[in-house]
Amino acid sequence: MKRTWQHPEEPASPATLTPEGGETPAGKHYWRSLSELAETRENIDARDSEFHGSPGKSEESESSRRDFMKLMGASTALAGGLAACRKPTLLLVPYSESVEWIIPGKALLYATAMPRLGGCTPLVVTTHEGRPTHVSGNRLHPEVGNGNDGIAQSSILDLYDPERSRNVLNKGERSSQADFSAAFAEIAAGIKKSNGEGSAFLVGETSSPTRDRLLKEVATKFPQAVFYRYESINRDAVRKGLSDATDGKTDVSIVPRFEKAKRILSLDCDFLGLDSPSTNATNAFSKNRKVDDGGAAKMNRLYVVEASYTVTGGMADHRLPTNASQVATIAAALGKTFGLSVESTTKLDEKTTKWVAATAKDLQAHKGEALVVAGSQQPAAVHAMVAAINDKLGAFGKTADLLNRGNDPVPFGTLGELAEAIGEKKVKTLFLTTEADPAYDAPGDIDFARFLGEVETTIQLSTRSLSATARAATWHVPAAHYLESWGDVRSAEGVYSIVQPMILPLYDGLTEIDFLLKLMADPAPATDPAEGETVVSDSEATPGYEAVRATFAEIAEGDIEKAWNATLRDGFLKGSSYKASNAKIALPSGKGGFPAPTLDAMEIAFRPDFKIWDGRYINNGWAQEAPDPTTSLTWDNAALLSIRTAKALGIENNGQMLKVEVAGKTAYYPAMLAPGHADNSLTIPFGYGQGEDAGFIGSDRGFNAHPVRTFASPYLTMGAKVSVLTADEIIDGEKVIPANYDLATTAEHNNMYGRALVREGTVDAFEKKPDFAKKQGMDAHIPENVSFYKSVDQDDKPLLSDPHHQWGMTIDLNQCIGCTACLLACQSENNIPIVGKEQVMQHREMHWIRMDRYFATAEPKLDKKTQDAGANHEWTEMSADHFENPEMTFQPVACQQCESAPCETVCPVNATVHTEDGLNSMAYNRCIGTRYCANNCPYKARRFNYFDYNKRPIDELYRGPFSTKEKTGVAETHKLQKNPNVTVRMRGVMEKCTYCVQRIQEGKIEQKRIARDSDKLRVATGAVRTACQDVCSADAITFGNLLDDKDPLVKMKASPRNYDLLNYIGTLPRTSYLARIKNPNAEIVALTGKAIGEISSHIH
Amino acid sequence: MANFFPRWMNTLPLKVAVCLGALGTGVVGAVTYYATPKYGKVGYMPAQPVPFSHKLHAGQLGMDCRYCHSHVENSWHSNVPTTETCWNCHQHVKKESPRLEPVRRSIDKTYENYDGKPIEWVQVHKLADYAYFDHSAHVNRGVSCVSCHGKVNEMTEVYHAETHSMGWCLECHRAPEENLRPLDQVTNLDWKPEDLDREKFYGDLLAKGAEPDTILSALGIEGAVATDASGLATAAANVFGDKATQKEVGPVLKTLWNVNPPENCAGCHR
Repeated sequence: MKRTWQHPEEPASPATLTPEGGETPAGKHYWRSLSELAETRENIDARDSEFHGSPGKSEESESSRRDFMKLMGASTALAGGLAACRKPTLLLVPYSESVEWIIPGKALLYATAMPRLGGCTPLVVTTHEGRPTHVSGNRLHPEVGNGNDGIAQSSILDLYDPERSRNVLNKGERSSQADFSAAFAEIAAGIKKSNGEGSAFLVGETSSPTRDRLLKEVATKFPQAVFYRYESINRDAVRKGLSDATDGKTDVSIVPRFEKAKRILSLDCDFLGLDSPSTNATNAFSKNRKVDDGGAAKMNRLYVVEASYTVTGGMADHRLPTNASQVATIAAALGKTFGLSVESTTKLDEKTTKWVAATAKDLQAHKGEALVVAGSQQPAAVHAMVAAINDKLGAFGKTADLLNRGNDPVPFGTLGELAEAIGEKKVKTLFLTTEADPAYDAPGDIDFARFLGEVETTIQLSTRSLSATARAATWHVPAAHYLESWGDVRSAEGVYSIVQPMILPLYDGLTEIDFLLKLMADPAPATDPAEGETVVSDSEATPGYEAVRATFAEIAEGDIEKAWNATLRDGFLKGSSYKASNAKIALPSGKGGFPAPTLDAMEIAFRPDFKIWDGRYINNGWAQEAPDPTTSLTWDNAALLSIRTAKALGIENNGQMLKVEVAGKTAYYPAMLAPGHADNSLTIPFGYGQGEDAGFIGSDRGFNAHPVRTFASPYLTMGAKVSVLTADEIIDGEKVIPANYDLATTAEHNNMYGRALVREGTVDAFEKKPDFAKKQGMDAHIPENVSFYKSVDQDDKPLLSDPHHQWGMTIDLNQCIGCTACLLACQSENNIPIVGKEQVMQHREMHWIRMDRYFATAEPKLDKKTQDAGANHEWTEMSADHFENPEMTFQPVACQQCESAPCETVCPVNATVHTEDGLNSMAYNRCIGTRYCANNCPYKARRFNYFDYNKRPIDELYRGPFSTKEKTGVAETHKLQKNPNVTVRMRGVMEKCTYCVQRIQEGKIEQKRIARDSDKLRVATGAVRTACQDVCSADAITFGNLLDDKDPLVKMKASPRNYDLLNYIGTLPRTSYLARIKNPNAEIVALTGKAIGEISSHIH
Repeated sequence: MANFFPRWMNTLPLKVAVCLGALGTGVVGAVTYYATPKYGKVGYMPAQPVPFSHKLHAGQLGMDCRYCHSHVENSWHSNVPTTETCWNCHQHVKKESPRLEPVRRSIDKTYENYDGKPIEWVQVHKLADYAYFDHSAHVNRGVSCVSCHGKVNEMTEVYHAETHSMGWCLECHRAPEENLRPLDQVTNLDWKPEDLDREKFYGDLLAKGAEPDTILSALGIEGAVATDASGLATAAANVFGDKATQKEVGPVLKTLWNVNPPENCAGCHR
């Protein structure tokens, strides 16, 4: 008979039991999806079947006779080949001349920076014999200490994207460098002659001093040229608002200092997520979330006002779901409490007014320690108001700095002004160096593709040739990836970094700097045909490099050569931050505000997509497959809406198609039910819907949000009429809009049945009973774990086989913001493949780290008895109030490295065994794929290679060896990214996290190299860092050696908040979690009648 | 009832069994011989683009292994020298030799056939891609080159001397003392424990901070008392004879250096 583990029945009504600690537990319930909450029959069936899904829907289910013959032929050939098999001759190819720094087989690290909107992400890039394989944060950087984000992590895959622009295009057709050079020389000469008249530049938003210097030079050289700046996601409103509030100054910027703030109010600002140029905000914010060592009292408090859940909202102590259009009203109401008066056209309801008052009171009480931030998608008026409030709060100089970032090098016009100029036939030659794709992502009321067509000559420099602009431009020129470029960039607070190349441009791309230099260069002297010899310069320095050095010489002081080398090595120039600004804040008069949206005239808020930003990363498989932190959606975007609105519209499932009509435009988006969303509001992440020619990964993904945007209000559209499609709709006579669209969400995958996995409490509860997390759920009922195995031998010596190292990990849920950067860092470090949308829908995603996102609400009022009897419940039976403002918590789960691992005992071939240093190791070459181990893993941490994901294109997985190799899913360039120290797994092999065993081995061997003839084999404290730990900007992951007393891990494990997942089943996991602590404001708790972060359910 | 089967058929099952048995033995024998590293690897001696003689360079001229394999102590990979390394000497020595033509082609900018391309050496020792061997972990801890590569200093052309099978690796990982030697002798392929100067050996160990008692117990000597190098040498000579042996050197180094090679899968497979 099959024996199954009987998890003890949890008492039905925990609230009736009194805990030992004297706390009255609130009946709080954690769930990951609506159907899990309701325990629908479908959900129960899915979680109870160990491996989800049917044998698989195959894109080619029946193999033809021809295929059969091919297969037979292939196997015969193989058999014949084997018989004649000889040892293959393999070559060892050293360099001809030794290369500086390179030790074959050893990784080489270089510091650089990734240019981002409003700053940069400082990076340290791992290269193997000249191939960059992994990026991590630059811990030396004074502004951005630790880690980085998912976009920086996946950017390395873009470098190797086989479909990145590699050819010059002329009117969308492939052309040659020679043709372009000839045409370009002619254009440049023409411009020179006319002093730039009729020429315009459309540049992107970057803080590169060299780029700015060159633009200035261009402006001097071609005085008639006009400059415009465009990014679909920009900081125009931030700049405008600040300029309004500082009496028209244009050189001021505000840099928040979260590490000094005790009270933070975010007005629709996702500063922990997409609204920061790098992870400096997360770094700084999480410093004040550490609660051990008496830190609970010093903990900061975060208030968030936002429409749809973001990772910042997830960290909030108090979150107020509000329409994006009403944030301005709240800002005005808040300003009023500080004596700042702006006329507002709309009124707040009573509850919100009280919430704002209580928040304002708390901020007032912490003058000099409080900070208010506003999202860059909010209009300028909000930013002006927020600057004024911060001024009143005494924030400047304390929790925020007013810095002088200098004026723009040349005055920039907007995209709207450019369109106007084109309309007036003022532009004959247009240079586009913005990485945005204006022909696709310009707001719907500017048909920029048409305008592009009206310009005589357009020259676009971009890394993407599969974009609408590249196709529409007269000339498209491949741009270099930042990892192949010489350049420079300033961070948000002005710290200067050099962007240095890791590799020669793979596809001969130019940088923006090269491009501008080329334009300004004097025409090359015609080579004498009689000699016919090309002159090779001795200097290997490229013009781009020279230009950056020239800029550097202006910025740095002292010995330039020395400073240059130090900057290259450290990744930043010391003392290069912006100086403080002497601007005075004064609130401009004005009035604003939008009417509150209604069900008939809804608002649509547009936000950057967490995966692909503004769409420039759409052809990046890692980015596409990483689940959105809050919605768990992969491979698509969708319109998020609240449960109440969904009910009112009659929506029951994710993916039901919405028809959105606004100002004469119609668009369709699949609905995504988003608990905690504001009512009568849609949030649509943009960047998706780039059509059928956006690359192998990016084609036909998601839905285009731009048609319903407007130039005047780019991130908010009011008065949208939204209805649900009841049947498929055909538009333009051919295109079919399905009434139901399949969305691949991972929220229900690898379900662990709840069971008090996430544990949290409040500051008060923690102070009263610090170890509240230890005895929750089943852990409250079990006796102490007793092992039948002895831990000591007959001489009382501990039976630890490795006396130097025993590895362990803690994950602090109080720090984790759920940004999924760890999941992507793991993917990059451990050669984890992507599987494609269809496979994700079959629960087959391969990420070793699963980011579980939990919503927490009061215990649902469903009758469990009828549930057990087989009645099928739906979440729709629950009141919409239930979903109005749930709390959100994140929990990353990977292999827990159990000391007594259930997976090891069932492996028939000993492919997964325990190591002396406490790892649950995987010998991939031994695995025969029985999947018993995954079946027996209580944490659902193992992933199985159902297909040769590393070998086959993801759309032809079912075709096996018949898949077409030339397809780009398995491009040669992708192989360059692979980490040489990790096996690339094949079909039929189980895989999972092993604490980055390759890094552990490297650390241990390095120590042996140092130890030589001594016995000091213990690796130095902190010498081994896992990829996830390294990337975590919130410092949530601590990895280390349990036997090393100095290791921070030992301290973390000793924390009273420390608890094991599923402790009662006795697996003794090496990874443990630290309970989350919230810091609520009693006044608001009383107001909402809800105990935020109250000790979670099932405490006894 | 007629006899359906002729009499000779009575012995047929036996004959069949014998034949099948012989066949089976043959197949098993063939597989164990031909399909193992002993057959497939040992003795593999491919022709190299430059007939470089280790016997001449490492043997007669006495060059250290690390002159060319310069990163063996720092990396998992023991590098094959760049052409520049060859050229350091050969731009002065035997520059015109036709056998060095590939070297000149690769490095000599004054040579008419210069192309700057690297020399393509044929790999002799190759582990499976899923086995992660690390040279630096071995040579830094007293395992000599000779233990895995044989007497390369006597090879005119390098050949595969050992099987490099997993079982062969594990033999040593289970009993590393059989292959440990003082660190300064790691690249001395002719070193024998008999060459050891006992007093110096023990003197060096004591100078490094080893306790005489630890050494004695590592040697398995009971009852003897020694406080200095000569005492230890005498005690060892009493037990192991006049000349030192590996049985004496190995266990001492294993104990003092704490040599515990990994025996779990993750030691070599990731």
